[in-house]
Amino acid sequence: MKLRSKKGDIDLPCMDVILVPVEKVVANNYNPNHVPKNNMILLEQSIIDNGFCFPLVTIYDEEMDQYVIVDGFHRYAILKYDLEVEQLPIVVLKHDIKKRMAATVQFNRARGVHQVELMADLVKGLAEQGMEDEDIAKHLGMEYEEVYRLKQVTGIAELFKNQTYSRAWEMMDVG
Amino acid sequence: MLKQVYVNKTVLEAARERIEFIFDEFENIVVSISGGKDSTVLAHLTLVEANKRDRRIGLFFLDEEVVYDSTVEQIEYLMNLYPQNTIPLWFQIEFHLTNATSYQEGQLICWERGKHKVWMRSKKPYAIQHKPWDKAHETIRNKDKGFGFYDAIENFQRSRPDTAFLVGLRATESPNRWRAVSKNPGYKNIYWSTDIGNGSHTLYPLYDWNFHDIWKYIYDYKLRYSRIYDYMWRKGMNFQDIRVSSLIHEKSFHALVELPEFEPKTYDRLLKRLKGISIGHIYGKDARMLQARKLPKNHKSWREYRDFLLKTYPDPDKKHIFERRFSKQLDNDYVARQQCRQLILNDYENNLPVDNKPDPRIETIKKWRAIL
Repeated sequence: MKLRSKKGDIDLPCMDVILVPVEKVVANNYNPNHVPKNNMILLEQSIIDNGFCFPLVTIYDEEMDQYVIVDGFHRYAILKYDLEVEQLPIVVLKHDIKKRMAATVQFNRARGVHQVELMADLVKGLAEQGMEDEDIAKHLGMEYEEVYRLKQVTGIAELFKNQTYSRAWEMMDVG
Repeated sequence: MLKQVYVNKTVLEAARERIEFIFDEFENIVVSISGGKDSTVLAHLTLVEANKRDRRIGLFFLDEEVVYDSTVEQIEYLMNLYPQNTIPLWFQIEFHLTNATSYQEGQLICWERGKHKVWMRSKKPYAIQHKPWDKAHETIRNKDKGFGFYDAIENFQRSRPDTAFLVGLRATESPNRWRAVSKNPGYKNIYWSTDIGNGSHTLYPLYDWNFHDIWKYIYDYKLRYSRIYDYMWRKGMNFQDIRVSSLIHEKSFHALVELPEFEPKTYDRLLKRLKGISIGHIYGKDARMLQARKLPKNHKSWREYRDFLLKTYPDPDKKHIFERRFSKQLDNDYVARQQCRQLILNDYENNLPVDNKPDPRIETIKKWRAIL
């Protein structure tokens, strides 16, 4: 099955997901991506909240008779070590090593960042829907302080309203 | 002996008196504004006094073209606070800026003629778009660098004799600023001033303010301030570290790391305008790539790394600038690390001069050896 596009046909590996035993899948040895601890906790939370929505991307290595991960190493680690599942959903690409390495970087890098202002609006929206700070922190992977700062709609100047002005000083030649 | 003496006034009362004094003494007053919080407060204090006396003051903004949209909005706000008391001096002239993130495009010529299609934004109709001074007498500090930011300021100031230039420097920001605002009277017996010749002086009426005084004033008078401050606060930065800087030069390129989160459209336009921007975005805070704080693992010493960087330096026209400069400097790891940083940031302009001295670590070891 392929998707027609103006730049040619696009493969649809996501339509061919298979479930394989967890021992059949191994990490690659070149992935430069590192997910910090707090985001690993968020990733686990995301899998629990949303289910496992995207299969791991792999290639099949004939010599080893195993599937080597191209993308999804951290989700794999959570399923295997934290959630201790027995099977994994994967798709299998037919990439050579050059294409595999490039694909790993493409999957990691081609992503956006959250605009601070809109993120603040989102957190404010959740709070207005009655979500507690604790839940916002847990489900969005934030520290309390981040939730507090994002909810601080009034801006930085407001924080100084009760401040008093400092004493003035002068340079004096005291002989 | 010179001493710092506290007086029985708040910094706000004192600043108002200082500004009154300046209005009494000077016919021409120009406030430099950057879009930042300090110059916002200074401009407001000065405009209020101008309004009271029914006088007009200049608001001087040297527009680097590659700035936050929030900065541009802040400048527009200040220019329109007291229009009847304001002489807008919004300069959108051609000058050279260092671009620390690219070997290929080491400089940006902002507002470059013929490139208006790629400018970050179009010029303001009321801006000053051509240098209003005699080109024949124009001064340039560094020929390698070309006509730069400080040259534009110097030539602007020279073009306006008998003027008080007000700047929002504060002593608590850094030791350098402390010296600038508290040493040697530049005008009469005023320590917070510098004589710049031609009957003109630079004055720093906010020299004793702390950052919380600035914010308190902004809150009390409900002044608008650049949104970048709120973004930085929300991103978890400390109050003291929050400042609105330039975007691309050798001391501020790390601002590119957060730019897409703060102002995605500014970032997209910047990507089109200039090379190296995505490098600054990805590696702006990386200890090895751009900052040369850690030695990459493939190199045994900073000296070896420097030789490697010099050998592979991509611009044959500029390579000799580094070779000549380095040949006059000591050959040790302390110096070599700084040379590496110059090479990585393509600093042929020498904006980050090398502290050329014996390696302090080796010196300490020597001293201890002698004692033991």
